[in-house]
Amino acid sequence: MQYLNINKEEWDKTIEQLLVSYTIFATVNNEFGLDYEMISPVNIGKISYNKPKPATSLKTFFLPMKENVTSGRSREKQRIILGVPNCDIKGLRLLDEIYLDNDFKDIFYRERRENTILISSDCFGKQEHCHCLSYDVKPYATGDADLAAIQLNGSIVLRIMTPKGEDFVSQLSRLQPVNDENVLSTIETEHKATESLLLSSNTGVPDYINTGKFVNKAGEAIWKKYSSSCVSCGACATICPTCSCFLLIDKMNFEKVKQLDACQYPGFERVAGGEDALFGLHHRFRNRYMCKYVWKPEKFKSPACTGCGRCIEACIGKINKNELFIELTK
Amino acid sequence: MLNGKNIYKPIRAKLTDVIDESPLIKTFVLIPEEEFSFKTGQFIELSVDGIGEAPFTPSSSPVITEKLEVTVMKTGYVTEYMHMLEPGVYMGIRGPYGRGYPIERFFGKEVLIIGGGCGLAPIRSLLYALEHIKDNLEKVILCYGSKTPKDCVYKPLFYRLNNTPKFEAYRTVDKADEEWDGSVGVVTTLLNKIRINLNNSVAVVCGPPIMMKFGTIRLLEMGYKDDDIYLSMEKNMSCGLGKCGHCMMGEFFVCKDGPVFTYDEIKDQPDIWQ
Repeated sequence: MQYLNINKEEWDKTIEQLLVSYTIFATVNNEFGLDYEMISPVNIGKISYNKPKPATSLKTFFLPMKENVTSGRSREKQRIILGVPNCDIKGLRLLDEIYLDNDFKDIFYRERRENTILISSDCFGKQEHCHCLSYDVKPYATGDADLAAIQLNGSIVLRIMTPKGEDFVSQLSRLQPVNDENVLSTIETEHKATESLLLSSNTGVPDYINTGKFVNKAGEAIWKKYSSSCVSCGACATICPTCSCFLLIDKMNFEKVKQLDACQYPGFERVAGGEDALFGLHHRFRNRYMCKYVWKPEKFKSPACTGCGRCIEACIGKINKNELFIELTK
Repeated sequence: MLNGKNIYKPIRAKLTDVIDESPLIKTFVLIPEEEFSFKTGQFIELSVDGIGEAPFTPSSSPVITEKLEVTVMKTGYVTEYMHMLEPGVYMGIRGPYGRGYPIERFFGKEVLIIGGGCGLAPIRSLLYALEHIKDNLEKVILCYGSKTPKDCVYKPLFYRLNNTPKFEAYRTVDKADEEWDGSVGVVTTLLNKIRINLNNSVAVVCGPPIMMKFGTIRLLEMGYKDDDIYLSMEKNMSCGLGKCGHCMMGEFFVCKDGPVFTYDEIKDQPDIWQ
């Protein structure tokens, strides 16, 4: 993989120049923590690098909460999304399988994918509930994103990962090849430190395949126990980088609005006659885990959980799925 | 502007006739404004402008492409609006979606069809398709049950089938009225009357979930193999494209992988009879 280097001040100037032709979103640390902000010359200096992980998952850039999917839209300006953690990059692979499948391609999703340069961020360190490595997802990207940008000693190191990323950097000036072996070994040391942190803080969490086996075998009692504090708010699904269920809402003149939905909401599977396979709270609760760890893996190649841990952070019922899975292993 | 086909956009279809089939069931005759065809057993999303859309399997012949018939039972929000529509208005159609009946696999066989209630709608389309290929079939037997004689749809269909070579049609009702002189009892009781060569037969079941469940159990008792029983599954199919997630049945999207499955394909999935 090719690495290029640029002085941080010059990188910031490059971003300012890129604003002419691109809409740029990047991770910024604000009073609510790390999240994406639209970048203007004013906040370029506030862009945060190497930090896990933005509060919002990447999917919101490709699957808006609500959009009219029948009226014509003008092509959007090219976008750069900077600071994407690898858990979200891997999550996007599943969305690609669903929304760009050969039978039915979603042209709205496809346009946004084609229109976006993805620059990932290596995570140096972890947040409390990060557990990507438990599911074999590294805390840094080595593919799928176009580039990775790493801040190191007053400079930005770019890792080029796709032909699209290669084309993109070829337009930029002031980039130098990385000749210093120490730069790469420092990055590697940081990766190892993060991986070690992830392993030590997630002892006992079963891997993705075994989680599926445990979830599939689990009896009703554990679903009832863990769903007892669930209020069906759907925060887990809304914040998840791979949950992408939606509802089509009809408007006049046969227009349709596509709105993100969640299997945690009552009535998600109700049919006209009134039958509802997910009527019970614990049935809906179990459904999300069966979907992520048992059913989706049967159908798709990409994992339906990348261990970002946002569902644990977002849950107002304080439900920790990893505690549930550890209990299932006992 | 975006390039490519927009999978969410319906085509307009003019409602030319509304046929009363029973107190709760009407058939809507539609002429699509664009070329439209379907395979028997596939479904469409039919919308009432500004109100909503719902999935239906057309009840007309797949061989006829200039018009489309959809039989709708008044059972929920959207269907209630549909029942208020008068000829002349436009409805929206998306589709056709999913995997229909694999009628080429029925060649050379006897086909037993068990239907209940409004489940006769997709079956009527299948019967038209089977009539079209009857030279390649041994025999087709329809066993149909409705709650009362009034709830029975397509009454002329039974007379016509019983006068068509290779076709037999039987009816039963859960509750008879004074004029009814036919069978009384659930639809599976009709299976005692028929003569069928189990070694060279396939079965199709379509109707309310409870009927599908007991119909399938009875067929298995009779000796039908799991992969010779075809079920038309009903779930909350919203997008029809295998994306929205509402119709997931285990690993399957009923809208895309179905709605027609063999019992063998889905017997291990959860909640198939709900």
